[in-house]
Amino acid sequence: MTPDEIRIKRITITATEEVKPLWERIDRWWLLFFAVLLITSLLILYRPDPYGRIFVFLQDGIRVTMSITVVSFLLILLVGLIGGLGRIAKNPLIKGIASIYVEIIRGIPLLVQLLFIYYASPILLRDFGTKLIGLWPSMANRLINIKLNPFGAAVAGLTICYGAYMSEIFRAGIESIPKGQMEAARSLGMSYFQAMRYVILPQAVRVILPPVGNEFVALLKDSSLVSVVAVADMTRRGREFMASTFLALETWMMVALLYLVMTLFLSRIVAYLERKTSFVR
Amino acid sequence: MSDNVDNIIEIERVSKRFGRVVALDDVSLTVKRGEVVVIIGPSGSGKSTLLRCINHLESVDSGRIVVDGIPLTEAKNIDKVRAEVGMVFQSFNLFPHLTALENITLAQRVVRKRSQKEAEEIAHQLLAKVGIPEKANAYPGQLSGGQQQRVAIARALAMQPKIMLFDEPTSALDPEMIKEVLDVMLDLAREGMTMVVVSHEMGFVKAAAKRIFFMCDGRIIEETTPDSLSLAACKEERTRQFLSKILI
Repeated sequence: MTPDEIRIKRITITATEEVKPLWERIDRWWLLFFAVLLITSLLILYRPDPYGRIFVFLQDGIRVTMSITVVSFLLILLVGLIGGLGRIAKNPLIKGIASIYVEIIRGIPLLVQLLFIYYASPILLRDFGTKLIGLWPSMANRLINIKLNPFGAAVAGLTICYGAYMSEIFRAGIESIPKGQMEAARSLGMSYFQAMRYVILPQAVRVILPPVGNEFVALLKDSSLVSVVAVADMTRRGREFMASTFLALETWMMVALLYLVMTLFLSRIVAYLERKTSFVR
Repeated sequence: MSDNVDNIIEIERVSKRFGRVVALDDVSLTVKRGEVVVIIGPSGSGKSTLLRCINHLESVDSGRIVVDGIPLTEAKNIDKVRAEVGMVFQSFNLFPHLTALENITLAQRVVRKRSQKEAEEIAHQLLAKVGIPEKANAYPGQLSGGQQQRVAIARALAMQPKIMLFDEPTSALDPEMIKEVLDVMLDLAREGMTMVVVSHEMGFVKAAAKRIFFMCDGRIIEETTPDSLSLAACKEERTRQFLSKILI
């Protein structure tokens, strides 16, 4: 047999080995998701008082939680890409700025960052505006009269915080691609950014997909912290409902189940994508 | 020296250090158009570093390199030079997320701005030329080492380079696959491609090389031709020592 034939035979053998019965191929963690979904639905349908009422009251909050998570996540991916490229840049200034950003932000709790952005940063901007009044009156006035939109402040806080962690994930993903890939691309005459775009990043995406997916799930849960900056997300709606009804157990049980339904579903999607995008090196 | 249009590569007194290790020590070398030059020497002697300096994968600490009349000094020139210089690596470095065909068309489209159709036509021609037209849609992971290296050669040729650099192209291959890669390289040499090859494949050296340089400790210590490549003809003791191990 020539080496090619041996190789083909080897591929065929592995291919046949991988055919498993259906019940083994299905990801069994889906069962947990459906169990939790079932319990939640049964509670809402067969115990409308109070669970149905709680669910109806929380609905706006669910929507806010979802949109804040999705909007922040898209921005986080952008910040992570820029931050990750900055961390591996040869230019010491760019590298320094990216590294300081990552190190400082990772050292401050997310809750404190959110409180800082919502309550402290308007004061800073106002002070800055007063100093600017002689130089640039229109901008100064805008800064002095600034009113932060809670949703915007929450998105900004989550993006800045998670962007730092995401930068590290992107950096590690890019660095995990063998150096020869960049060299081969550059030796063909591609620029650094062309090589990144067509050669390095498409491979890095497969490496970073699992940690990025985990970040998304973590972000969904941490978005509950935005309830402290006047955003009416699911957690804040829960607090409001409890305050008016004193049904602490039922309220937080419902809130916890709803978070669980969302996170279990997302974890499965992440696991599916992970399997789908893996490839033979 | 640089007025001589026959010289396609001019390396003048180049030195390069990695920390405290001297990789290249005052190396000068010129290659003429259409010439096949082979560099041999023990590992760590600076052969690969010299090759990588020619398309600026490594920068030099001092000295001058001119490729096809373009000095390798400014950043602007580097991409220009790289598009004229094809490189083949020991570890192939194919892009594993792309098929053989896509590996060959990517740089054509991105750098040479060719259309998808034109790039694919060229890619199919080159795959036929290196003897694996049927592997166009295979991913690198599905190809043998010899096939991967031939795709890598096709990928470099697709840019229509004036010079091809080979950095130990057969060292990572099983003995059975070495020949298929060397045959492709011999064809290229016969067509008049300028080639700088780091290799210890004596069969190829004897069949294709015009000049042979022996490197040791970052210096070129001896220049010879395939005809006089024998233990008796070499002046330097170190060359004889090395050759006694690779010549049978």
